[in-house]
Amino acid sequence: MLDALQGLGRTTLDFFERLGRGHLFLLQTLSKLPGMLLRPRLVLVQLYSVGVLTLVITVVSGMFVGMVLGLQGYNTLVDFGAEEALGVVVALSLVRELGPVVAALLFAGRAGSALTAEIGLMKATEQLSGMEMMAVDPVQRVIAPRFLAAFLSMPLLAAIFSAVGIYGGYLLGVGVLGVDDGAFWGQMQSAVDLRDDIYNGVIKSIVFGFVAGWIALFEGYDATPTAEGVSRATTRTVVHTALAVLGLDFVLTALMFGE
Amino acid sequence: MPETVSTENSHSADAVVRIRGLHFSHGDRVIFDGIDLDIAPGRVTAIMGPSGTGKTTLLKLIGGQLRPSSGSIRVHGEEVPALNRAALYQLRKRMGMMFQSGALLTDITVFENVAYPIREHSRLPEALVRDLVLMKLQAVGLRGAADLMPSELSGGMARRVALARAIALDPMMVLYDEPFTGQDPISMGILVKLIRELNDALGLTSIVVSHDVQETAAIADYVYLLSHGKVVDHGRPEALWDSSSDWSQQFLEGRPDGPVAFHYPAPNFREDLLHGGRAR
Ligand SMILES: Nc1ncnc2c1ncn2[C@@H]1O[C@H](COP(=O)(O)OP(=O)(O)OP(=O)(O)O)[C@@H](O)[C@H]1O
Ligand SMILES: [Mg+2]
Repeated sequence: MLDALQGLGRTTLDFFERLGRGHLFLLQTLSKLPGMLLRPRLVLVQLYSVGVLTLVITVVSGMFVGMVLGLQGYNTLVDFGAEEALGVVVALSLVRELGPVVAALLFAGRAGSALTAEIGLMKATEQLSGMEMMAVDPVQRVIAPRFLAAFLSMPLLAAIFSAVGIYGGYLLGVGVLGVDDGAFWGQMQSAVDLRDDIYNGVIKSIVFGFVAGWIALFEGYDATPTAEGVSRATTRTVVHTALAVLGLDFVLTALMFGE
Repeated sequence: MPETVSTENSHSADAVVRIRGLHFSHGDRVIFDGIDLDIAPGRVTAIMGPSGTGKTTLLKLIGGQLRPSSGSIRVHGEEVPALNRAALYQLRKRMGMMFQSGALLTDITVFENVAYPIREHSRLPEALVRDLVLMKLQAVGLRGAADLMPSELSGGMARRVALARAIALDPMMVLYDEPFTGQDPISMGILVKLIRELNDALGLTSIVVSHDVQETAAIADYVYLLSHGKVVDHGRPEALWDSSSDWSQQFLEGRPDGPVAFHYPAPNFREDLLHGGRAR
């Protein structure tokens, strides 16, 4: 009984300690961002490995998700004779929800896990310590450019996901199922609102990019410096990012479209 | 050459590193229990002791990567644990550290690894950087390996590259963590000579952590023997050999029995075996 209580206390303490470390880490990272203006090359290299290398999986997934939306949307709408509205359904689902959320989940699996493993291994092999002893700040040199790259690429990836998805819905709906071309685009154009839909979607993806980058980098930086520690940190990155993204999506949706 | 040598605290200014009453623990495990130690300028000082006594830990304390629980560590007259980040980084530019594991950056070549501190801390033209790097690599005999990736090096080679990197900025003090481990007799001999020659030619101060007693004693001007969180003996190598301390005798001659325990602290072996089922 006492043991159980003790265990509970310890777990709670550990949790809050980690939470504190995570926030300190975030503050430290944010304080180094202005310095990145002087070293744009560092960020560019990371934009490539974080953003560009995630592009393929994003485009392919976006295409499939868009086609599924086209198919499902058509089957439902056609019962009401409203298949003209297919463009609206596909575009709104993607821009408001699926684009930011699915792109963030893919990002966690592809780029987030890689970031955690990379940083964790650098820690385990004393590369971060080595930099510190060379008077090079690893947060400045290693963490900040990666964070910025994650933060910048997430909205772009989400936008690409949505755009490709809409095109997938178009291919299926107009090309295969015979929805009217003009109605598909026309209804979409009049129904999708720049502020309510597009901006809100972009805000979501900015928040998700921030959180995904933070979690991935912190897990790597805070990993136990062993092979096992790094592998556990990598798993945690994917799980925690997925939970955080879905939870935040609910909160943001409630705030944006609540009323 | 580094610009400033602090003149503050001039009464102990003859020691580059001055440690007093150092206490440090990893969790519950006490690593240092009151250590006093002075590193004289321009000398090669060896720190020896059994595996796990905290030699690497001591170097990290000197470099400001770990904070002592109490006690004073002064490097060039500056109290390391009290320095803010910027001052600490300023100090570290004057220190080179060769890590036990090498700690090379794995995503860039050997050449780029040695060039790394130079590029980070100076704006030298590329041709000059190249010359500097090749000179350092030549000194450790690995100029031919400049284009290899760290994953293509053996452990001993990686450590030599780490040495080249540690001296890349021409520091005032170099900390070597186990420089001789994993070296064949020839490169070992060259390294021993190199550490001594770098020290004398560049006017460095060197701290060599090692348990290779013969090699280390051959180049060290002064030796500290650590065990169980204390300095058990110190002095010039010749003097230590004649030391009356049983501990020093056993350690330096590598005899299996004596006051130095080979085992990590553990409960009685017989008890442990008999009560084998107990929870750990
Ligand atoms: N991060 C850590 N957490 C807890 N204990 C640690 C940690 N790092 C080292 N130790 C302990 O500190 C002690 C000293 O470690 P250190 O690496 O300084 O030894 P060392 O003298 O360099 O040994 P070696 O000669 O084998 O390199 C060891 O007994 C080790 O168990
Ligand atoms: Mg060691």
